[in-house]
Amino acid sequence: MTAAAAPILVPKHEKTADTAEAAERRQVRSAFTFLAPSLIGVVLFLVIPVIFVIILSLTQWNLLTPIRWVGFSNYANIFRFDGFGHSLLVTAYYVLLNIPFQTVLALGLAMLLNNKLPGSGLIRVICVLPFLATPVAMGIVWNWFFSPTTGIINELLGHIGITGPAWLSNSATAMPVIAFANIWQYVGYNMLFFLAGLQAVPAALYEAAGLDGASKVQQFRRVTLPLLRPALLFVLVTSVIGSFQVFDTVYVMTDGGPGNATQVANLNIYNTAFAGFRIGEASAMSVVLFVLILIITVAQFRYFNRRTVYEIA
Amino acid sequence: MASVASVTPASAATAVTVAEPPKVSRGVKLTLFYLLLLIIAIIFLTPYLFSIFAAFKPLDQILSQSPARPPTSPTWANFKDLFTEYDFGRYLANTLIVTVILTAGQVTFSMMGAYAFARMEFPGREGLFWMYLATLMVPNVVTLIPLYVMFAKAHLLNTYWAIFLPYVLGVPQVVFLMRQYFMTIPKEVMEAARLDGCSETRILWRIVVPISRPIIITATLLAFVFGWNNFLWPLIVTNSNSLNVLTVGNANFSSNFAVQWNLILAGSLVALIPMVILFSIFQRYIVRSISLTGINR
Amino acid sequence: MNAPRRSRSPLSWHSVRPVRTLGRVAIITAVLALLAGCAADWGFGSNGGASGTVTLTYALWDPHEQIGYQQSIDEFEKLHPNIKVNIENIPYGSYEQKIIAEFITGGAPDLFWVNTPWLATFIKDGILTNLAPLIKSSNVNMSQYYPQLVALHSKGSAIYGLPKDWDTIALYYNKAYFAKLHLTVPANLSWNANGTGSFVTFLKQATTDTSGHNALSPQFNPGKIATYAIGIDNDPQGGWGDYVAEAGGKVLPYPGAPYTSLDTPQVNEGITFLTKYLTGDHVMVPGSLSGPNANGNNLEQMFSQGQVAMWEQGDWNTLSVKSSVTFPVGVATLPIGPDGRVSVFNGLIDGLNTHTPYPKQAWELEQWLGSPQSEAILGSGGYVWPAIKSLDPLFLNYWQKQGIDMQAFLTEAQGKVVNFPNSPGIGDALTDVVNDLGPAYLGTESVSAALKSAQGDADYVLRTS
Repeated sequence: MTAAAAPILVPKHEKTADTAEAAERRQVRSAFTFLAPSLIGVVLFLVIPVIFVIILSLTQWNLLTPIRWVGFSNYANIFRFDGFGHSLLVTAYYVLLNIPFQTVLALGLAMLLNNKLPGSGLIRVICVLPFLATPVAMGIVWNWFFSPTTGIINELLGHIGITGPAWLSNSATAMPVIAFANIWQYVGYNMLFFLAGLQAVPAALYEAAGLDGASKVQQFRRVTLPLLRPALLFVLVTSVIGSFQVFDTVYVMTDGGPGNATQVANLNIYNTAFAGFRIGEASAMSVVLFVLILIITVAQFRYFNRRTVYEIA
Repeated sequence: MASVASVTPASAATAVTVAEPPKVSRGVKLTLFYLLLLIIAIIFLTPYLFSIFAAFKPLDQILSQSPARPPTSPTWANFKDLFTEYDFGRYLANTLIVTVILTAGQVTFSMMGAYAFARMEFPGREGLFWMYLATLMVPNVVTLIPLYVMFAKAHLLNTYWAIFLPYVLGVPQVVFLMRQYFMTIPKEVMEAARLDGCSETRILWRIVVPISRPIIITATLLAFVFGWNNFLWPLIVTNSNSLNVLTVGNANFSSNFAVQWNLILAGSLVALIPMVILFSIFQRYIVRSISLTGINR
Repeated sequence: MNAPRRSRSPLSWHSVRPVRTLGRVAIITAVLALLAGCAADWGFGSNGGASGTVTLTYALWDPHEQIGYQQSIDEFEKLHPNIKVNIENIPYGSYEQKIIAEFITGGAPDLFWVNTPWLATFIKDGILTNLAPLIKSSNVNMSQYYPQLVALHSKGSAIYGLPKDWDTIALYYNKAYFAKLHLTVPANLSWNANGTGSFVTFLKQATTDTSGHNALSPQFNPGKIATYAIGIDNDPQGGWGDYVAEAGGKVLPYPGAPYTSLDTPQVNEGITFLTKYLTGDHVMVPGSLSGPNANGNNLEQMFSQGQVAMWEQGDWNTLSVKSSVTFPVGVATLPIGPDGRVSVFNGLIDGLNTHTPYPKQAWELEQWLGSPQSEAILGSGGYVWPAIKSLDPLFLNYWQKQGIDMQAFLTEAQGKVVNFPNSPGIGDALTDVVNDLGPAYLGTESVSAALKSAQGDADYVLRTS
């Protein structure tokens, strides 16, 4: 392409050529200036509390009595007495239910709606509406939906002769229902990132591929997917981090029931900290969950970094 | 009905005869498309519809009728109660003030940090970025406690500051989001500007920001929704009811003695409507096509 | 030409507008906010008005009762012109946590509601003031209150609050439904541990399937039940707690005990009666339908829609029931069990913050709220049963005028009652117990196994609290 007018403002006077090192130093200084506000925020309001939590995980404390040092015994107790191992398994089950469906659906919606047909714009807005509501308010509505005798789902099923199960009281259906509620809430939001990513792929590439004889499916695999990887990485990493910490929906809909079938890790942490006031144990749970999420996220980054094209070559 | 085969430019010199895809008529495709849209709309709108119905019903109708039934005699009483008996006007104002400040700061400062991570070179870049990411992975339930004590010692409890301060300087989610996006901007653009003597600030505000419209607006939406719907932190950090935000005000209706479903749902609608309006206004900026191809290299 | 259409220059007005607009909106709003929000909300300005006036903070959680309490406090402020009281409403779900959080940073309210699940914890952690010396010096007449409430809030010779209300558990029932069936609800029904007795027989008469047969009829179809006779949830106060007590069982061997007595034959009897006999006879709403872990969340809706005829609950639900149903409502007493008719008994107190900067004024408020004048305001407005025995008719008369006869609750209060379990950590322990009993209600685990895990989990919590 010919270099048309570059959209850059050039100062009127000629600058003398800077040395490479001076330019580098300038860049480093600028970088830290740019970073400063968020760095202060992250360190003050996130890193320092996290360090406290790690320290607290080695103590026993109920907020009112003095802090007592207990070493690593919390880490054993949370598995022996607080059922944290079970919570981790329940959480993993939820993540496996949630992530694949949600990612595929979000991508599918983005591709379906990435056009200028009338109505697409409206549906794009509708898809994101669930994200704007609080999980608590929506949880109430879902409870009505899935209520065994008065809910609309079982009412509709009854019309076609099926007796619907007690969705939230049945350990087989409780977690899938929660996953459904969460997918409903966040799929439109994730769709937005895929939309932005899809629209960043220049049409020229598709046309070139079409000229070379690629089918639509091949175009998707060879053009779209690789260039979507930054968006995909973002969506997957944030969804996985978020799913491992799912809380609001479970709290409102089942509160961990039936029995402990939906007691996800974050609910266990919340109950241990704020109902049982066992801050040390809750902190230990948080650390374990953190390490788990960290390992998975590093793995995701490794996988993607080897394959990601960030810029359009 | 004439079928439309896929079109390749006739002038393409290297045209190879491609096997035509099956001739599904355009009409059928369109019908299927709109059918799908209808199903999607039903799935996403029905729960809202129920909560809207309920917000206009008195409590006895909410429980004694199916939620799917529209109100037989819609009443504004719930909303009236919210604003006259329960001070929701004040809560709305509080939430607006706090969220706007939080959003403005969060987007601006996160963007600056994201640009640094994406397109500037400095020692410790990877390490610092992972530190940002790592803080997202710790459940925020227990971290609230040291944070709360910090604010107490700083005598900031029960003020507006307390509600937005932890978020206004930028948060890792938004930094991550924008960094991913900035990394799709070709390095050459920045290099060219630097060679021309532009300062980094200039590059960010004059070059990067104008072409990053969609992601900035997405980040704004993200920040706004988060601030608007935040519950646990504003709850523990404010004492006096005059500082309540909408989420906290709504929680008051679930007592162990009674749950006032009609007020909870009306309150949720009051919280929801400003966001829907905001989103509808800005959504076309989010999804309208951007053109990186406008940048010539 | 295959070049994509060139967009507008990135510097065009349209590109920058939304961002600039957002920025401008933000700045304007921030400035307005700084001007609009009062100085105190930004942390400037001091607390306290004219010298000599003390402002107390009083925390509670129920927005409806708040109306009654505001009336009472208005009277208090007239009598004490130098004391102002601000009511702070804290959502119930986070109430206990918020009070503790505020306490550790020195900002807890001067007076606050205390419910029994956390009463012993607050006492043990030194949040509540022992009022015994103040009661003595102010000559408060403790005999005017229900003695069980005084005992509930005492520890040895210390007492931590003046009783101000009470509640018992009874059966709300759908008068229209029973009229349709030509059934009157008998005054004294009884049950036996083996599932027999007039109570079960009556419940069978009151359960109808979609063809109109009741559960005594041979044509009864348990797969198509239109209306269950009774809904009893998985709850230590409004659910199995009463049947366990009527079977002679105890959750705690004694108040303040660091372990439970759940895995005992009597407790087993009470719970088995519900999960095996009543559920098995299809007269009670099965656990799977009543809510997650059989916690009864769905029962109110089912009651309003006529799917359950009698709803066992505490009297605090009366306002809810009144405003959510479209049929006349009656109240019947609990049935009589092997150990008699026993209801779980509970009441709140106003705790006095040990770190209050205004102990004298806070005591004035505490005294007022426990006084006949204040309790009369709350009773006659139908907010709560006053803890002062002589004032109970006020509450009764209010609801009589609203069309609901609350006598059953009073009869039980004047009969045999057992206090809500009280021990440090009992709130959390009971949550675990309810979780562990869920499978028993759902029929997926035997009552004995469920009680065993319940006892194990509850004892761990009590031990470490």
